[in-house]
Amino acid sequence: MEPSFHQPRTLDAALKLLASHEDARPLAGGATLVAMMNAGLAEPPVLVSLRHIKELKAVKALPDGGLRLGAMILHRELASEKRLKGGFAVLREAAGQVAVPPVRNMGTLGGATAFADPAADYPPALAALGARIEAASTKGRRSIAADEFFLDWYAQALEPGEMIAAITLPAWPKNAVGVYEKLAKVTGDLAIVSIALVLAQDKGVVTHLGVAVGGCGPKPVTAPEAARAMIGKPIDDAAIARLGQALAEAADPVDDVRASADYRRLVLPRMLAKAFVRASLPAKERR
Amino acid sequence: MRRTKQASPLITLSINGNDHMAVVKPFTTLLQVLRDQLGLTGAKCGCNQGVCGACTVLIDGKPARACLSLAANCTGRQIVTIEGVGSVAQPSRVQQAFIDAGAVQCGFCTPGMVLSSESLLAENPKPSVAEIRTALSGNLCRCTGYKRIIEAVRLASKAEAQP
Amino acid sequence: MTVHTPIVGTSVPKRDAKEKVLGQARYIADMTRPGMLHGAILQSHVAHARILGYDVSEALKVPGVHAVLTGDDVGDFRMGAFVKDETAIAKEKILYLGEPVAAVAADDEETARYAARLIKVAVEELPGVFSPEEALAPGAPILHEKLESYFKVFPAVCGGNLLSQTEITEGDVAKAWAECDIIVEGEYETQPQYHLSMEPCGALSEIDVDGRITLWSANQSVFRVQANVCESLGLPMSRLRCLTPKVGAGFGNKMEPHIQPICVALTMKTGRPVKMILNRAEDMETVRARHPFKVKMKTGAKKDGTLVAREVEALLDGGAFGDDSPGVLGYSLLMARGPYRIPNARCFGRVAYTNKMRFGAFRGFGNPQVSLAGETQIDQIADKLGIDHFEIRLKNALKDGERWFGGQLLKSNGLIECIEKARAASESVKHLKSQAAKGKLRGRGIAVGGHISGLLATGAIVRLLEDGTAVLNTGAVDIGQGSDTVLTQLCAETLRLPLDKVALASPDTDGSPYNWGTTASRVTYTTGRAVVAASKDVERQIKDHAAAMLNTTPDQLELRDGGFVGIKGSNTQLPYLAVSARAHWGVGGPIVGTNTLVFDTPTIDPKHGAATGLPFGQIGVFSFCAMVCEVDIDETTGKVEPVRAWYAADVGKAINPRLVEVQMEGGFVQGMGFALTEELVWEGPRLVNPNLRDYKAPTMLDAPYDIHTQIVEHPEPDGPCGAKGVGEISLVPVPAAIANAIADAAGIHLTQLPFTPERVLNAMLAKKS
Repeated sequence: MEPSFHQPRTLDAALKLLASHEDARPLAGGATLVAMMNAGLAEPPVLVSLRHIKELKAVKALPDGGLRLGAMILHRELASEKRLKGGFAVLREAAGQVAVPPVRNMGTLGGATAFADPAADYPPALAALGARIEAASTKGRRSIAADEFFLDWYAQALEPGEMIAAITLPAWPKNAVGVYEKLAKVTGDLAIVSIALVLAQDKGVVTHLGVAVGGCGPKPVTAPEAARAMIGKPIDDAAIARLGQALAEAADPVDDVRASADYRRLVLPRMLAKAFVRASLPAKERR
Repeated sequence: MRRTKQASPLITLSINGNDHMAVVKPFTTLLQVLRDQLGLTGAKCGCNQGVCGACTVLIDGKPARACLSLAANCTGRQIVTIEGVGSVAQPSRVQQAFIDAGAVQCGFCTPGMVLSSESLLAENPKPSVAEIRTALSGNLCRCTGYKRIIEAVRLASKAEAQP
Repeated sequence: MTVHTPIVGTSVPKRDAKEKVLGQARYIADMTRPGMLHGAILQSHVAHARILGYDVSEALKVPGVHAVLTGDDVGDFRMGAFVKDETAIAKEKILYLGEPVAAVAADDEETARYAARLIKVAVEELPGVFSPEEALAPGAPILHEKLESYFKVFPAVCGGNLLSQTEITEGDVAKAWAECDIIVEGEYETQPQYHLSMEPCGALSEIDVDGRITLWSANQSVFRVQANVCESLGLPMSRLRCLTPKVGAGFGNKMEPHIQPICVALTMKTGRPVKMILNRAEDMETVRARHPFKVKMKTGAKKDGTLVAREVEALLDGGAFGDDSPGVLGYSLLMARGPYRIPNARCFGRVAYTNKMRFGAFRGFGNPQVSLAGETQIDQIADKLGIDHFEIRLKNALKDGERWFGGQLLKSNGLIECIEKARAASESVKHLKSQAAKGKLRGRGIAVGGHISGLLATGAIVRLLEDGTAVLNTGAVDIGQGSDTVLTQLCAETLRLPLDKVALASPDTDGSPYNWGTTASRVTYTTGRAVVAASKDVERQIKDHAAAMLNTTPDQLELRDGGFVGIKGSNTQLPYLAVSARAHWGVGGPIVGTNTLVFDTPTIDPKHGAATGLPFGQIGVFSFCAMVCEVDIDETTGKVEPVRAWYAADVGKAINPRLVEVQMEGGFVQGMGFALTEELVWEGPRLVNPNLRDYKAPTMLDAPYDIHTQIVEHPEPDGPCGAKGVGEISLVPVPAAIANAIADAAGIHLTQLPFTPERVLNAMLAKKS
């Protein structure tokens, strides 16, 4: 079968095309998929461009304080999205550090999320926020929690014929603060280690906490029990160190051209501590 | 890349204000169309992975990677290449500033640098050094050490400010 | 009485700046010829193997394929800068993973690439060696079994996998250690760096009915391309003409051949124009990279800081082919004593063949690697003796009239002025460790260096056109650094012509005089000398004609701005047009000035030093530099961020000051990449990061904006207007300066490049505990 290229106007039409071939692929911004095609690493027989589907570009505030983000929102748009404040700011900061400006003008939230690179910026941010990925196919829609969505290196829970339609961020308390700390070799590179932290506190006592780590294994690293253990307790160095230790133990990093696994485990708790410091600063000093 | 024998579709692209016909396969990139079909070789292929920025063009006013843009996905968009900026008789202020500031060395990154700078100044006529460095951080240069390029954008921004 | 407006010493814009900002400059990938085919290579999947045979039938069946090339198509002809060990395409043996083993010419690139993958190569795999230690171990598998029979351009000390061995000595090191009050020792390791010229390598060749070939390519020397292609294909040089389009930078990678021999072989096989453009991965996997070095160094001094002795032992990975390895080895050893007066020195080194891509020339040519060791040891000695880092360098710096390691007399030496200028500039900005942002450590480091400009032959032809304007022809390839502009300035200055009245011929092996290449920081110095001399030849002829026309003698005449020759002290003058008209239509024939030269000052003076296995006898004149670099270290992660740099370089005379400054700025950032983030990583035989996603050079946000440069001008007596080179010296001290800044900030002494966050943090934590 020869490859074919389609530019449907509606999501339903797109989903039908995606169902037409088991290797059909949606084309969002192309920042990753086209690079892979250029390198001979992907040859989708059916390419479905999503650029004309308006509903995929919407940002919608939900009645409960949550936010629904269409899959085709650009990194650039997210990086300056005013509704990404409070705890959601972790995603705004992450978006502002995806690759470099021209790529942020092309790449999309849905595309980058679906690529599921654990050293990329969205996976830890979405995991820390407890985001839900809204998958759509001709069979219907389903909502997948971030920690069930990212499965392995470059592998996620989408079934053939399924694509990301939107990502929903659950409400966080108004006083929550989201920060994203990234260590990379150079600007725009994938993370050696990144920390996504969402924190709400009341007079130094943790009321809500979401934390996930990028670059340290096949998927965003979380330590749910250690994070829960901090709730209701004062933030102190020892508690942060315990959480850092738990995350380092949960991490499953590898040696690669960016750094060794040992270094990643070493620097993770240190960066976590820095993230807590920054999350505790008054908004103006946060950067 | 997949080899196809069937006839490829003809598309129309708006480039530098003119409509151009191109014959494309699904996997044909905008960069291939510009360089191989339209003779617009100002955009360079430095990595074909969207990293180096040598292929930068403006799509709907924003710097984008021509190597990561499928041509078929660019219909209906306004594409500007370096050939659409300035002229021999009248280079743009950015182009003139690159000449005057000594920002040109081997020249392979220059078209992309100029286009990223044009887009920056269109949005932000008086950028700070920090804003320039951020806006151009997606364009690698291996010759200049970047300083003269920053100076060129600053020079252009001063020139823009004059009536 | 005549007003002269100087052209030399002014920062005129680069000649090609306008076409480049307009996107109209044409590089090799932008070229096309009627009936042109596209070529593509098949790369080997094994690192070391004997080739048993090829099955090209599937590839030939693909519609649009015109020819397949394998090692069977080329004779046993070998090329190489020092040891002629390399065939045009793998023949009989495969020596590294990724090596081109076959090639295809087809109607389009896609077809060529597709068909290349259908070629089957039967091999008998052999065990490989992937480090120089492995390569030199007894019983190691041998890459070049016929090494002994290869032609070598110098008396190489070689055998087995030993490609070259060099030793340079002065004084008596063994005795001198006893005179030292303090000795520092260390082992240093540097990584392979990829040139990353923004333009990947490529070539386009065509053949005429008589079998004569024309070849365009991305290159640093049309003459080296011509020599290498002809050597590797067994062609007489008269059958190949080499030309150049614009070149998207070269940092040593485009000096010796890349894809040109294969491209020409495909043209010869098909009779058609063939274009081959390497993609980025192929460029990274098949061209060349900076040599990884292992250096053992020991330096001794007296209590007052006087340097007494230095001993160096270097081991280089040469990769699968000799390329420039013997030169890099020999040169690095010549530089390893640094720009210092150290009476006793022994520098010894070896370079070995391994089953990896060849390592070769890269801006600095081995000097940055040994300077890392040398300049960090100078700081350590100073620290142990409680001497200021500037003072110890000032105390030991070579002065005018002193000799470089090996014995060559220095005729111009601005090193001390460089150190003082860099010091004053950096000290004008207070070094406050407290200025670092919260969570960062701040430090400053100094490093100095010397580097040659020179080597080998060059020439220039200046022809006065009928109307009195001129055309300059040197054959030097401008790789973006601006030599076309600088050489034109020199010609225009000498002939008193406005810049726009001096045209520049594009390099052409048919019409240009010989130019060894744009390398060794040499074009301004060596080619500049030839340009000035050829221009003076024209001047002499102009004056001869004018003397006859004005009834005077040549010594009474002077050249005047705008292209006039006049009688000194008088208003009487002639335009060049009148002179040239006489020469063209009346007397003597057209005025053509020529000059050729070869750099001929010996490097080793046996009264002072001795060398064995040194592959060049006449290396060049010396430029000098000093730099101070300020860095911040992130205490959380160990990441090093250069904040500022202050640079001073002695370039003899800046023909075009701005172009000199850009060399310093660009050299800093490329050196910073080498120091901090860039590394080609091999895992066994495989290069694991042959792409720009995983190989990371500094972006505009990573490089500091505050790079402060100063030009120091100690004229080289025989340099053109006193000029010498700046291209490489700008990079030489950078890794060492950054290492010394890290030491200042955090008290740690790093010996292995690159200084990754990991190495820095580990060293900081180790120091604490």
